[in-house]
Amino acid sequence: MTVNVLAGLLNVVMVLVAAPFLQGVQRKLTARIQARQGPPLRQPYYDLLKLLGKEDIEVAETPAMQRFAALLALAVVLAIAFLVPMGSAAPGASLGDAILLIYLLTLMGICTLLAGLAAGSTYSLIGISREMMAMVTLEPLFAVAVLVAALHVGSLHLDLVLNGGSYAAAGIPWSGLLMLCLMLLAFQAFVQRIPFDISEAETELMEGPLMEYSGPKLALFKYAQMAKLVVFSALFIGLFVPWAGTSNPVLAWLLFWVKALVLVVLVTAVAALHVRYRIDQAIRYFAVMDVASLGVLLLAAYGY
Amino acid sequence: MIGRELIVRLKEAFGAAIQRADLPSDQRLFVFVEPSALKAICHHIFRACDARYVVTIGADDRPYSGQFLVAHNFAFDRDHLLCSVLAYLPADYPQVESISDVVPAANWGEREMRDLLGIEPVGHRYLKRLVLPDGWPEGVHPLRKDLPWNHVPAGFDSSREFNFDDPPDGCTVVPFGPFHPTLDEPAHFRLYVEGEFVRGCEYRGFMVHRGIEKLAESVMGYDDIPLLAERICGICGCVHNVAYAQAVEAAAGVSPPPRAEYIRTIMLELERLHSHLLWVGLGCHVLGFDTLFMHSFRIREPVMRLAEKISGNRKTYSLCVIGGARCDIEPELQLEMRSVLDKLEAEWKQVVAAVSGDKNIQRRTRGVGVATRALVKDTGALGPVARASGMDIDCRRDHPYAAYGRLSFDVITEKDGDVWARLLVRAKEVFQSVRIIRQCLEKIEPGPLKVPIPDELPVGRMGLSSVEAPRGESHHFVMTGENNRPRRWRVRAPTYQNLQAVPSMIKDQRIADMTITLASIDPCFSCTDRLETIDVRSGALRTWTQEELLQAVRVGRRHGGQP
Repeated sequence: MTVNVLAGLLNVVMVLVAAPFLQGVQRKLTARIQARQGPPLRQPYYDLLKLLGKEDIEVAETPAMQRFAALLALAVVLAIAFLVPMGSAAPGASLGDAILLIYLLTLMGICTLLAGLAAGSTYSLIGISREMMAMVTLEPLFAVAVLVAALHVGSLHLDLVLNGGSYAAAGIPWSGLLMLCLMLLAFQAFVQRIPFDISEAETELMEGPLMEYSGPKLALFKYAQMAKLVVFSALFIGLFVPWAGTSNPVLAWLLFWVKALVLVVLVTAVAALHVRYRIDQAIRYFAVMDVASLGVLLLAAYGY
Repeated sequence: MIGRELIVRLKEAFGAAIQRADLPSDQRLFVFVEPSALKAICHHIFRACDARYVVTIGADDRPYSGQFLVAHNFAFDRDHLLCSVLAYLPADYPQVESISDVVPAANWGEREMRDLLGIEPVGHRYLKRLVLPDGWPEGVHPLRKDLPWNHVPAGFDSSREFNFDDPPDGCTVVPFGPFHPTLDEPAHFRLYVEGEFVRGCEYRGFMVHRGIEKLAESVMGYDDIPLLAERICGICGCVHNVAYAQAVEAAAGVSPPPRAEYIRTIMLELERLHSHLLWVGLGCHVLGFDTLFMHSFRIREPVMRLAEKISGNRKTYSLCVIGGARCDIEPELQLEMRSVLDKLEAEWKQVVAAVSGDKNIQRRTRGVGVATRALVKDTGALGPVARASGMDIDCRRDHPYAAYGRLSFDVITEKDGDVWARLLVRAKEVFQSVRIIRQCLEKIEPGPLKVPIPDELPVGRMGLSSVEAPRGESHHFVMTGENNRPRRWRVRAPTYQNLQAVPSMIKDQRIADMTITLASIDPCFSCTDRLETIDVRSGALRTWTQEELLQAVRVGRRHGGQP
């Protein structure tokens, strides 16, 4: 199998193009739920352009690391976009396997840590300490989800794992279905939306790790966060709702983006109707998920 | 226990230390005592008689009696009595024994008196500056009568930073404020944090002082001050406006006509409505629940428009003049008010039903920021904070003013004393406000809006007024004076007492709970920071002579514009 560079690039470009639009959908939908008019759907594009055009101010304790963190954040998200299937077979399947994917996911959290460390302010330090706690308890969940799928298909190959690998068990795929429930319950945390936007909590930590970011660097980080939602949606779709129901590649591609849109709407609605959790409450929630996911892994290991 | 019994009881206990007692009405008592016995008497009133501490007032009375005056005010809520314990201090030796170790709630009041008047509370355990910045020179006290209102003392160092206490061992310092998304106004909390837990804090506030009391005592007239008073606060301005007018009316023996009293009541309740809806919105915003934040503001908006139709302004109604009210409520507006109230009540019922069933909100607010009854008593905390801790106090019922004595309504209390209880109290008080306004609309009678006051107001009389603001009791003390203005006007906004309870409420809580705990007292820093005489913000001061300023004020008043 060769690397499908064109399909990979298409993914990257689509993520870059669609992420601000989906952000616009979120803002519009949130506004309608809140009885507001809301900004036009194209507003996030304007916001990014405006930030990119601003003066690049260096204020943090270690400006080089601050810049690096912002670049790395976007780069990692786009790298994942290159690897995973988005309406077509996984384009970068021969570049790496599921283990690489898990590493890249962890690297996303590391970017936030670097950003907070570079700022060096008390609030960003509190922010990254929360981020770290959340990461340590949350990352295993995704790893288990990927592992369950890998166990079922008997391979770590991305093409197989991210093509509905969760349900590849003989008989009723109990472990896949259970994992689907767990991931649905935790999805809000992976994309860091309320009730799990704890590390940034505007009203407590003033955006935490991002508080010293401005201008183009902030634009990159914001872009990365928008793209993160798309990429996680793609992973979720790849693991749990991969069916296209059609052999037409264009239709399959369109269908993927419809699914992504549905996920975004779901995330937005949940965020609009919840109160932010406190870090200890969130960690307890994640811990329950982790224990449950280990049970699921056991089921999967025995072929259920 | 009514006033007379209290006088007898105090005379029995303290004998000759009680010099004089004035009982201008059944609801007001002024006891003049020996300075040496002041502490013992206050202790007796606060603990043995279980009165509520209200405020400490210092006054420079030297131009009139040659002495300084200090007063501690107490409220007997069950007996509908406001009592002031006063002592005159010699001009050359302005010292008095501190009561703050027996009445902890007097902590700030005494420090403010020391800063602004140079009256030394001897034995106060924490004599740090409260109001004046650390760069202010020693021995200059802005509220003394020999200091002009626009005096800039030699040696003022505006760049001097605060002199903070050392944090306890093992704690790191997290600065909260002066600017923070959940602080609407500048105030600084220096949190001592151990991991995610707050172990203590130091508060420095009073950063936006506007010299309001000094201004009133030196350049404004009785009827100008209501306009100044309501600018103390952007949310509960009408409360200060009414409280000031009532304090002057009480001192001068003027009683406003019934129609004005009903209109005052209606406006005060409209203010409570919009304030409580605003608070629920902001509280939810702090918790990250912006949906309810937006809906609260949507439900609140018609109240603002109604206020604009009545007074010409969404806020800052300019309602009171001494002896009456300025704006009337026409019959067609009364009709509109009824329909606005009906809609608001129906919508708010839905919100309350949704919030009461929301487990997530409860998880973030139950057991958070608890104020025990003892803490409320000791710090003199007020309003929804006190009522959420089971203290059944409400000035509208306990010290009836305006038309409240003729209306029936419930005082909402809860037991737990946490943020959730405060949220419930405020949410339910909205319905009581609606009920009160409806009764006012039933009972309001035609008649004049103000009584004519042909003579000058008598000089040297004292008046107390407590008005239940949305945040708790706002207390005004006025001593009438010459030149058509008060000699001394002291404002005590509810946040002044509630803030003193915050350090105990956030102790051993998580940092994440700090913001909602602070927000749950509905802090109003501008109310608290109303004193002082220097414009720190612009730095450059234009020096006006008193004549120039008087001239400017007169010209401005004649033309109704900017001087």
